[in-house]
Amino acid sequence: MIAHMLRPQSAESPWREPVIMAVVAVVMITLPWILPYVGGYPELATRILIWGIFALGFDLLVGFTGYLSFGHAAFWGIGAYCAGFYLLHGGMNALPAIIIGVVAATAISVLLGYLALRRYGIYFAILTLAFAEMFYYAALAPLQDWTGGDNGLTGIPTPVLAGIPLKGEVIHYFVVACAFLAVYFARRIVRSPFGLMLRAIKSNETRLRFTGINVYRYKVAAFVISGLYSGLAGTLYAIYETYVPTESLHWVTSGKVVMMSVIGGLGTLFGPMVGAGVVLYLEDVLSASTEQWLLIQGLIFMAFVVFLPGGVMEGLHRILSWIAWRRTDLPEIEGRRQAREGAHGAAPLQQRSR
Amino acid sequence: MTTGSLLLQLLTGLQFGAIYVLIALGLTLIFGTLGVANFAHGALFMIGAYLGWLISSATGYWLAFVLVPLLLFALGIVMERGLVQFFYRRPVTDQILVTFGLALVLQEVVRWMFGGTTKPFPPPSWALVPVNIGIGYYPPWRLVIIGVTIAIVVLLFLVLRYTRFGLVIRAGMRDPEMLRFLGINVSNRFTFVFGLGALLAGIAGVIGGPTTAVNPEIGMAMLVPSFLVVVIGGMGSLPGAILAGILMGEAVSLSVLIYPPIAQVIVYIVAAAVLLWRPRGLFGVKGVME
Repeated sequence: MIAHMLRPQSAESPWREPVIMAVVAVVMITLPWILPYVGGYPELATRILIWGIFALGFDLLVGFTGYLSFGHAAFWGIGAYCAGFYLLHGGMNALPAIIIGVVAATAISVLLGYLALRRYGIYFAILTLAFAEMFYYAALAPLQDWTGGDNGLTGIPTPVLAGIPLKGEVIHYFVVACAFLAVYFARRIVRSPFGLMLRAIKSNETRLRFTGINVYRYKVAAFVISGLYSGLAGTLYAIYETYVPTESLHWVTSGKVVMMSVIGGLGTLFGPMVGAGVVLYLEDVLSASTEQWLLIQGLIFMAFVVFLPGGVMEGLHRILSWIAWRRTDLPEIEGRRQAREGAHGAAPLQQRSR
Repeated sequence: MTTGSLLLQLLTGLQFGAIYVLIALGLTLIFGTLGVANFAHGALFMIGAYLGWLISSATGYWLAFVLVPLLLFALGIVMERGLVQFFYRRPVTDQILVTFGLALVLQEVVRWMFGGTTKPFPPPSWALVPVNIGIGYYPPWRLVIIGVTIAIVVLLFLVLRYTRFGLVIRAGMRDPEMLRFLGINVSNRFTFVFGLGALLAGIAGVIGGPTTAVNPEIGMAMLVPSFLVVVIGGMGSLPGAILAGILMGEAVSLSVLIYPPIAQVIVYIVAAAVLLWRPRGLFGVKGVME
């Protein structure tokens, strides 16, 4: 049944999707060469993609079902800790480390989803925040023999994949492959009937329940998929940094992915990845020139929430439609506007009134 | 372990709980009337603690005790009029995001002004030396915290129960729309409630600061358990917040006796247990504020 539900609904040109994915691949691969032109450094590209996977997974839950989670650090951190723990004590091979990390994060997301999804709105945000903090404090004191307590997991060896050490350009291409697959599956999920269900939850959950659909199951599924993505990103983080700081379970990490997704634009998939780029780039540029970069980051985030809640993607959208408006006659715009609203009527950006 | 030391530990639990209760009461008042989950409430506690440290080291403790809550009340009013009021018509997620952003900004402003290190904020000298209270020696400051909290809670209940203002607030927690139809200026009173919540956080900061650490991170560290207190108490229920606050405080305090490293985690285990047993919280009512 799930396989049937994941089949994309085809109502557009068959070329559209391959072209989009090709552009995504080109941008991801060339990112290390693009960044130095704007004041970044090549390694930043790998970090952006890792956080991009995280933000993508976050968006699959928050952007489409509307359930704002403040606890995604739990999945990221557990993925990172488990992968790091395996690499420290189990072996050098990256593949089992990733599998262990992802499985652990997914299992925890089933548990947390079961607990937190019984409530909605504010309750959900609070419960996810609280239970993620539980893992942070658990890693800090009671489990410190395994997690290294305050120091985090240090001295992780450079993992190998099929005999090749994962560092430098190799890890970048490896992360690109993961991110590409992540984007591909996320787009498949979102465009499938399953994705439609998630949007229906966002627009009116009660109505959906009245049509006889078991909403809870869809919510748990979305939460677990989101947790899986976050866990994958976390394991890649541990492999890339060869270090797991305690901060990876802290609310700061959850807050960071929230910021990335909001700045980029919730519910657009590419938006949160762009947001990851914006936040990490700003972090890099600002922290070099000022000590108060966290303050500036917070202010930028607030400015987006207040003035442009749809994030960068909504900004781009507005600019594009302004250009289109400049270039067309009035009657035609009305038609375009209607066409656009028709196409985007169910789009997650708009919160529909009940 | 003697009965005396167990009782002392219970008393300490009551003191932990008292701070949670003060923060949670403000949260639940604001949530109950305005429908906003104030993620910046921990930051208000943190600012209260910092102001308490600043004023008490300059002029002595009593002035701080009077001044800090008033300053926080003013800050709460400014926050509500300047930012939060524009979000009542926006989706709940936006309200959470903007107060969360505000919490980050306030935390970083404080870090910028005073640095990231923990400030020494001692209680007044007379409250430092443990006194004999019959079951053993106990630091008087913790007794002051418990006493002040009891006084505040009683005062709050009297105001809500027996004044016209309290009546309006209680009605507002039930049905703000109906209240507006009756020709009552709801928004003015709700602004006042926001200030009141901030004032409670200020009191918690100025009396709790000496027992918790005074650093920029303390806000968020106090906010999360306080939020849980509100949720397990039943959102919008004041008696629930008090009961849950004490429950949490005792859980932390007693777990220290059994296995100290678990103390920080126990809050969440208790919360998970309560929520599995009663998803709406201890005093939560079906259909109210869901």
